[in-house]
Parts: sequence; structure tokens; C-alpha cells
Amino acid sequence: MDEKEIGIYENVLEFISLGLSHILKRIPDTSKSKVEEIRLRYGAPLNIYISNSDYFVTEEGRLTTEASQGRIVGKKDIMETFQLISNYSVYAFEEEMKNGFITLKGGHRVGLGGKVLYGVNGIETIKDISSLNIRIAREKRGVSEKLIKFITDGPNKVYNTLIVSPPQCGKTTMLRDLIRILSNGDRLFSLRGMKVGVIDERFELAGVYNGMPQFDIGMRTDVLAGCNKRDGTIMLIRAMSPDVIAMDEIGSIHDVEAIHEAIKAGIRILATIHGDDLDDLISKRSLKILLEEKVFKRYIFLDNSKGVGTVKDIIDGNTFKSIYK
Amino acid sequence: MPLVKLFGSILIIISTSLIGFYYGDKYSDRLSNLIYLEQCFKILETEIVYGANPLPEALTNVYKKGNKKVSFVFKEISDHLKANKNGDLFQSFHSVVGILRNSLNLKDEDIELFLSLGRVLGSSDRKDQEKNFNFVFKQISVLQREAKIEKDKNEKLYKNLGILSGITILIILL
Repeated sequence: MDEKEIGIYENVLEFISLGLSHILKRIPDTSKSKVEEIRLRYGAPLNIYISNSDYFVTEEGRLTTEASQGRIVGKKDIMETFQLISNYSVYAFEEEMKNGFITLKGGHRVGLGGKVLYGVNGIETIKDISSLNIRIAREKRGVSEKLIKFITDGPNKVYNTLIVSPPQCGKTTMLRDLIRILSNGDRLFSLRGMKVGVIDERFELAGVYNGMPQFDIGMRTDVLAGCNKRDGTIMLIRAMSPDVIAMDEIGSIHDVEAIHEAIKAGIRILATIHGDDLDDLISKRSLKILLEEKVFKRYIFLDNSKGVGTVKDIIDGNTFKSIYK
Repeated sequence: MPLVKLFGSILIIISTSLIGFYYGDKYSDRLSNLIYLEQCFKILETEIVYGANPLPEALTNVYKKGNKKVSFVFKEISDHLKANKNGDLFQSFHSVVGILRNSLNLKDEDIELFLSLGRVLGSSDRKDQEKNFNFVFKQISVLQREAKIEKDKNEKLYKNLGILSGITILIILL
């Protein structure tokens, strides 16, 4: 298992300029398997995040918390890395860059910082790239198995479910794994496979690269990548007749409309949202509507108190009482 | 004896003519290569502006679709790009300068235009890439016109010069 994780890390290094990837290759194997983010900022020391704490990397590939010992990232490092990430072809990632990131082979996402240029139709592109945030996507098969019995009722019925967690607590990973299990079906839980439509607005869920999902999202899953949730929901309802629609990071009023549309068509919803607890959700205007209408039957709260993806609580959407012991 | 003389004369005329043709052909070669190069650029433009294919792939496609006499250059660039991770695209373009000059008989100004594309390729959005291509197309048609004039002027000249100098040598020797 660990070796696979190290392999993922080393694949990501392929996209980093030689000067830096040599250094990053030298960090200890035990850390390699846990790296979550690699951050390159012009003029700042090379920074990586391992299990939610941050370290600087020295010229020799040692991890330190002393910023002064970290290898300083230069303009050249950023430019070379950016060229490798964009495959020398900025034009091929035009649409993605407007959203501020590029998806790599393997489903990893690279966030971009720099000068944003506006055109007639909103953001046109980002130039003078000054920082890169390489988020290593790790597929955790089976993390959601313990949740299945809480969110299903019978072999082909799943409750409308909302996964709530702060950033970096594994909600996308959890949702992806739920999609896989629901789509494939599972004998153990006597689940029949369902048709799942995935609206992958930010290319994170399926990690589509060159049209091919980079993660296992099940065999009855259709993906609309890069599509916004409202359009995506309507398209899926019309064309794909899904049993379940999954979407990541809802929040805007349009997303709420999308959910209403889907529910009218008798489709179940799996979604995630940023947040800490129920009060936090109530404070979000658009979410308040969904809470009051009792659209979601299950709320799953995650945190990282016992590592990424710890299930803190599961709340029944009708009674607002915890059902997780 | 006269047979040897005849044989020698023919040999001299053939060799000087060949030299003349060799120099003359350089001019027509440059023109035809510039035309093929323009075709390759057009394919590359389509790959980028309409296909939005990443460069290594786009360059390989140019090799496949274009006239192999010139398009092999794009394969060389693509291979160089894939192998040389530390450099940028311009370096990969620069790596084929020798081929352009020696095998394709291109002149410095043709090579400069070729390299200028290497400086801007892939570094901006599709709209901007299209503009750059339009600029290159304008420039290359100027170069083609110039190559045509030079070809008309010099190709015949060198070929005739070759044959005539052979005859001159013969007259002096005989």
C-alpha cells in the first residue's frame, strides 16, 4: 500500500522542474507516502504539507520547520514547472486556467497564483505565475464503507446525503468512494448498482484527464466534467436518467435550484459542502432553505481529529438527531 | 586515343554540369521547402487553435499529416521536448537549426522566422496563438516570394554556368 502511495508521489514529481524534483525525491520514504501538498512560491522556501502540518525542504532534501534553511524557489523553477504542468501548451488549458487550476494526469490538481487578466467575458487567463500549489490526490478505496448502512435503505434506495467538513478533511475522497460503491453495487451490503451521474465542476471527483476518469468511480457512472451544477443537473436528467446525482462543494443559490430540479425528477442527491457543524450550515443562506425543507435525510460530518476523513457524526435530516454511534 | 579524349571530355562536362545543377537546385529546394513548411505551420495552427492538442502531441501530428520531406523536423522537436525536461520549447526549436540549414537549404532569415514561432508557441491562449500564426504566414509568404525571385534568377544561371564552364575547359584543353 505504502509503495503505491510513494509511486503516486513520484509520478507527481515528473511535473516539477528538475532542480526541485531532485530535492523532493530525497525526502524520507515515510514522508513521501503522506505528502498532501507541494507549494512553490516565487522567492519563498519550498514548502510541503504532510498530514496537515507544514515543512520546508532544504537543499539536501531534509524536512525542517526552519524557514531560513529551506531551498528558495526561483522564477526559473516556477516557469519550468509551469511548462511541464501545462505540457508547454497554455492554450490547451485555457478553460481550466480561468478557474485557477490545471488538472494533471492522475487527477492531481495544481492551483495557480499570479496576475489575473480580465476580458469581455470575465477572467481571461492568469499570467506571471508566482505560486503553484500541487495537491496530490489520493484515492482511498473503501473509506466510505462504514457509511453505507447509514445512507441506504434497501438494495436500491439511497438517502439524499450531504457530507459536511472543513477543507482538507477528505470530503471529496469520501464522496468519490461512495460514488464507486453505489455505482458498482455491493454484495456485502446487498446493494444493487445504481446509475450515478457525476457533475465534476472542478475536475476533482473523477479527475478527468484527456477524457478518461483517473479515479475509479464505478462502472455505472457518467461524468460531466467542468460543467456547472445547474446545467449539469438538467443535462443529466434529460439524457442520462440517473438514479443518483453526485456533486462536489455546493453552496450557491444556483446549486440549490439544481438540487430542487433533481428532486422533482425523483433523483437522489449526494453532495458535499464546506462547513463545521449544523449551525454553520444554517448560517449559509442558500443552505438554510434546504435544511428547512428537509431535503437532505442524512448529514455526515467529517473532521481530522483521528486523521483525515474521521467521521465525527451522522445526523438524521428529519429529526436532526445523531444516529452515529 | 580519340576514344579516350571523347570519354574524358564527356566526364568533364558531366562533372561541371553536376556541380552547376547542385548549386542551382539549392534555390529551388529552398522554395519548395518553404512551401512545405508553410503547410506544416498550417497543420500546426489547426492542431492548436481548433484542436487544442498539447504541443508534444500536436507536433507529432504535424509530422504525420505534413509532407515528410519537411515535417520530420517537427518530430525531432517533439522528441527533443519529451526528452529534455529541463529546457523550454525554444531550446527544442533551436536543436533543429542545423537540419534546417544543411538538409533543407533554408537561409538565416527563414530559420529566424522558424525560431520566432518557437518563442511564442504554447505560451498564450488560442486567440493569441492564432495572431502569432497569422504573422508567421505573412512573413513566410514574403520569404517565398523572395526565394522564387532568387530561384528564377540563379537556378538557370548556375546550371548554364556548369555546362558552359565544362565546355570552356574542353576548349582550352583541346
